[in-house]
Amino acid sequence: MKQLNDVSSSHSNTVDTLTNLSLLRLLQVHDSAFPIGSYTHSYGMETYIQEDVIRTKEQLVNFCKVYLFHNLVHGDALLIQEAFHAAKRRDVARLTELDELCGAIKLAKESREASVNVGKQFMRTVAPLMESPFLLQWKEKIDREEVKGHYAVLYGIYCEALGVNVFHAVMTFMYASISGLVQNAVRAVPFGQNTGVQALHELLVFVEEAATTVMTLTMDDLANNALGIELASMKHEFLFARLFIS
Amino acid sequence: MKRMLNLGKVNHFGKLEMGFEVRRGYTRLVHVYQQPPLKASRELYEGNNPTATVFIMESSGGMVAGDRNEISIKLAPESQVRLKQQSALKIYPSHTGEVCTQAITVELEEEARLEWLPEVTIPFERAKFQVDTTIHMKESSTLIWGEIVAPGREMRGEIFDYQTFQSKYKLYVEGTLIAFDSFHFKPQEMNFSTIGLLEQALYVGSLWIVSPLVKNLPIRDLQDMIQQEKSLQASVTKLTDQAIHCRWLAKEQRILIKEINCMFEHISAYL
Repeated sequence: MKQLNDVSSSHSNTVDTLTNLSLLRLLQVHDSAFPIGSYTHSYGMETYIQEDVIRTKEQLVNFCKVYLFHNLVHGDALLIQEAFHAAKRRDVARLTELDELCGAIKLAKESREASVNVGKQFMRTVAPLMESPFLLQWKEKIDREEVKGHYAVLYGIYCEALGVNVFHAVMTFMYASISGLVQNAVRAVPFGQNTGVQALHELLVFVEEAATTVMTLTMDDLANNALGIELASMKHEFLFARLFIS
Repeated sequence: MKRMLNLGKVNHFGKLEMGFEVRRGYTRLVHVYQQPPLKASRELYEGNNPTATVFIMESSGGMVAGDRNEISIKLAPESQVRLKQQSALKIYPSHTGEVCTQAITVELEEEARLEWLPEVTIPFERAKFQVDTTIHMKESSTLIWGEIVAPGREMRGEIFDYQTFQSKYKLYVEGTLIAFDSFHFKPQEMNFSTIGLLEQALYVGSLWIVSPLVKNLPIRDLQDMIQQEKSLQASVTKLTDQAIHCRWLAKEQRILIKEINCMFEHISAYL
């Protein structure tokens, strides 16, 4: 707990502090039992697994690091940060733009659809738990099909309503994404549970570094350099047999 | 300080504005404004085909630190244009640290059709380059756009020796952003051969296809076709019901050029 407070104070430029209850609520949405379907998406990793290039823990860690630094940091994580600040200003027009950007930057059809589907599941699950008129306003926009409802933007709005700070919002999102990939690799490669635990443990320091990096970026940095992963995600649609939807 | 570093060099600011319209059944280049080193050829026609083919020429031989190119293309309703760059775009070493920038803006009106043939951009060692491409089109218009990014002058052993290469490609249909392809390569900070980045590849090829007829294109057949060449990685994806993106990651320029042109012509004949 002490460590968390330290992290929190080093990002004291954000007004919100992480209260015990909001921390618990954040933990709950990132629990693997939280029904948003993250166990059904590999975001292109399954293509690599089928091509037999993710066979060792080291290869899995390398894959996750590239996904973290070259996809998430400059993509969804940056969009979460921007959505969080836009939500604070109640700037619906900006959020609408971010939702469009979030889809446009995901060129691979399955990754784009995964982002919308996970977003829908997330909204369905959190809406009854939160008393946030602004979140419900966004839900109505999704229901009226005025926006697609991409997960990253929605998650940014949710975290702002929850009262956590933007750093923790971004960092826990990336933790959950990487943890999801590792769990899926454990099932698909397959690896032993301990290998998965060790891989994720090795990645934690990079998750923190990635979140710190996101805080220094602006929307000009929105990019996806992980062209290999994107191509793998495009190819995933055409694989003969698949464990995952994306 | 900047002036001193420039050593008296005046940067090039190339401008090329082209407006196309249908006149007596043929697409004509009715408006052209050119500022060196950019220049457009006159329209060329193949037999009775009303499509105007125009070459974009760059008389300086390449872009040097701080140079800027602006290309603006407008197609009036029902006009049909094929644009070809005369040669590969070379980006010279940035001796002053300044970035070369290129901006391409395209507007396609109802039922207009633009083909932008794939050409290679080559960032030399220490080059800095930034390209912004923005396309606005209608649902009834057609776009086939190809491009290739090289790792450098590979034959001279220059592979990822440039400083930065940033590309932002925005595609709007009826005002909605349907694709935003954005990458920022910094070879000194990135190990391209890592899993998930470029892996064994050196060249990046992209094709963007938007047309009302895309909905009839069998995407699985295109995927089978694009995957036949085994020496490179390639795939197809749908951006919307009427837009497709193809991407190649290739080791050899020669094979990539052959493949991307083959797909380009295949789709061009279909749409």
